[in-house]
Amino acid sequence: MKRWFMVALVVLLVVALVMPTMFAAGNVKLTFCFWGSPAEDKVVKAAFKGFEVAHPGITVEPMYIPGDISGSEYAAKLKALAQAGELPDLGYFRPEHFGAWATNDFFMDLTPLVKKDKLENTVLPQVWLKVKGKIRGSYTAAECEVLFYNKDVLQKAGVPLPPTDYRKGWSWDQFVQYCRKITIDNAGKHPGEPGFDSAKIVRYGVSYQLWSAMLLPAIWSNNGDFMSADGKQFLLDKPAAVEVFQKIGDLINKEHVFAYTNPSSTSGGGLPAPPVMLANGQLGFYVTGQWELLDLAQMKFPLGVGALPIFKKPAQLYVSGASVIFKATKHPKEAWELHKWMLTPDKTSDLYTSGLWMPTKASWYNNAADLKKWIDNPVHPAGFKEAVVDSMQVARINPETRIKNYPEIWGEAVTPEMELIWLGQKSAVEAMKAAKAKVMQLKLIQGVY
Amino acid sequence: MSFEQISRIKQKKASSKKHFLSRQQNFWGWLLITPAVLGLSIWVFFPLVLSLLASFWHWDMLMPPSWNGFQNYAMMFQDQIFWQSVWVTIYFTVVGVPLQIVAGFGAALLLNTKVRAMGFFRTIYYLPSLLPIAVTSALWLWLYNKQFGLFNIILDKFGLPPGQWVFGTGSVIPSLILMSIWGIGNTIVIFLAGLQGIPQELMEAVAIDGGKAWHRFRHVVLPLTSPVIFYNIIIGIIGGLQTFTQPYLMTNGGPANASLFYVLHLYRQAFMYSNMGYACAMAWFLFIITAVIAGLVFKSSTLWVFYEGEGRK
Repeated sequence: MKRWFMVALVVLLVVALVMPTMFAAGNVKLTFCFWGSPAEDKVVKAAFKGFEVAHPGITVEPMYIPGDISGSEYAAKLKALAQAGELPDLGYFRPEHFGAWATNDFFMDLTPLVKKDKLENTVLPQVWLKVKGKIRGSYTAAECEVLFYNKDVLQKAGVPLPPTDYRKGWSWDQFVQYCRKITIDNAGKHPGEPGFDSAKIVRYGVSYQLWSAMLLPAIWSNNGDFMSADGKQFLLDKPAAVEVFQKIGDLINKEHVFAYTNPSSTSGGGLPAPPVMLANGQLGFYVTGQWELLDLAQMKFPLGVGALPIFKKPAQLYVSGASVIFKATKHPKEAWELHKWMLTPDKTSDLYTSGLWMPTKASWYNNAADLKKWIDNPVHPAGFKEAVVDSMQVARINPETRIKNYPEIWGEAVTPEMELIWLGQKSAVEAMKAAKAKVMQLKLIQGVY
Repeated sequence: MSFEQISRIKQKKASSKKHFLSRQQNFWGWLLITPAVLGLSIWVFFPLVLSLLASFWHWDMLMPPSWNGFQNYAMMFQDQIFWQSVWVTIYFTVVGVPLQIVAGFGAALLLNTKVRAMGFFRTIYYLPSLLPIAVTSALWLWLYNKQFGLFNIILDKFGLPPGQWVFGTGSVIPSLILMSIWGIGNTIVIFLAGLQGIPQELMEAVAIDGGKAWHRFRHVVLPLTSPVIFYNIIIGIIGGLQTFTQPYLMTNGGPANASLFYVLHLYRQAFMYSNMGYACAMAWFLFIITAVIAGLVFKSSTLWVFYEGEGRK
């Protein structure tokens, strides 16, 4: 009796172990790694479900890696997986590590697939990420920089609403003048008026995101650049870039119109987060990534978008995470199908209608019917097309995917010096000179991938 | 078969049985310690050896590592940011640890007196060290807030200008030290245990000889707690040199690298910039520095640490 029972138990166990693999026979399982907010996680997983329904025989296993702000933990995790030979089949990839991995042949060459499916021109021209002439991945979405504002604050301060046509943005001086008009201390005085107390400001003109890529549109607008195209020359110490650094520094320390939160601190400095200030009417303008629309639209205040201020010419940044298929995948065909699926905005439309992302598909920018699918909703303010969507025509990609040592050049050399400008402890000329010296000393200039 | 023969066979049997038993015991002994040995080897010794090896490699964790000789170590001496991180860490440790010891010892002395509701006070002082450092960091960011943080509100009440706290290049390390003193509950507990181990008759002896509170402290309390002070200094130095969480969460090394602690710099080299070899070399260099400092403190301990019973040898 006892023996009989044991035998039965063992048989049952074996069956339980074998069953899933029996059912899975003939079924392809793809593992897809990604990061993002809990809301993104939900939408992405819903997209997988849609894919599974449309492709019987393929299941998608989500590998959600909630990231930290710098993304270094995501990259570290993938590195560990690569070392262990357990990389997923495809997924998101940190753009600043893209070049190194692509050069070392970790990603599938998508060139023939893109050609076969005639996809070259169906997406924005920036989307395909090439290294040495081969397509090794794509941008996951399209993202850029936007001037947000609180309509009530501007009207109360007697400031006109900014133009929406991205080619007709205010000049920098005009912009500064309006920021001054918005800024008041607790006695109602503006900067420059006698008795103005810069330590007791209750309403600020502007706040900027000040991390690396967010400064590029202004630098490009002033005909400056970060590095030369071949990655052999550091250009932030040239007058065009230095002027931009100094002007933003002046907003903080000379004009006293800038709600400055310590950029290196993850939780801000002395002030509430800029979106909160904007919603509370403590801030007029906020220049940041368009993805913040997701949160701003939820905050119930009269939100507007305008053209970015222009130094010499309109400029825009194309920035996004990357998507790749890892070369080690056993199912390249199925992985490519899923990669395409995730690039199709209809399949993940919540990511676009919610304001988090902009699509990669070209027709969603120039075809009125497609455009309606994602910006004709209460989330996207009036003027979004002219100020943001159209500006993607001049958008340059974030050089992080191309230039070697990009994170290190910023993290080790430029950012610490930049902070001294924001703190008013160094002029932009001195700071950028020191930054260049550090870049040279650390031998960080190594060209492009 | 003679009697002798029989007894010899018996003996042989017995000894082989004994041998067998000990072999079996041996087997079980090895088997039972295997998990611990394996665990230590795989998760501690192997990474340790690997990181020592890697400190001589050029290794980005993508391509197979290549031998780099002493390059990584040589690079440290040229890297200005490395020296900045050394300076920050030493500053924090050298100023912070003595303050923590003095504050912890002082608090322990107060908590060792006989007043009402002492359990309550002891709990209050110990509570902060129960909080995860992440929580403490978030809390202190609020206290240090330039606009509406508690400290600046107090300064404002006295008509003083607002402080920069963790947001100023000059004030960030003192601010982090202040915060570290808030979390000395563990130090206090160890001191308290030391204080309570002091025999009452020694105190009485001082009193009989006409000694005052100062004499009791100087000639009884201090010598008898010196091993505890010694222990706390060693632990404090090791902890101070490895500070990571507060700068990682509160300042990210800023502003302008003013709080770029050694281990934060190491972490960035390893995981942000993929210089794994360099990071490993930094880790071993930190180990050497820590060992040297701890060694010096140990050496000096013969001069000032008093162990009971030593004199009677």
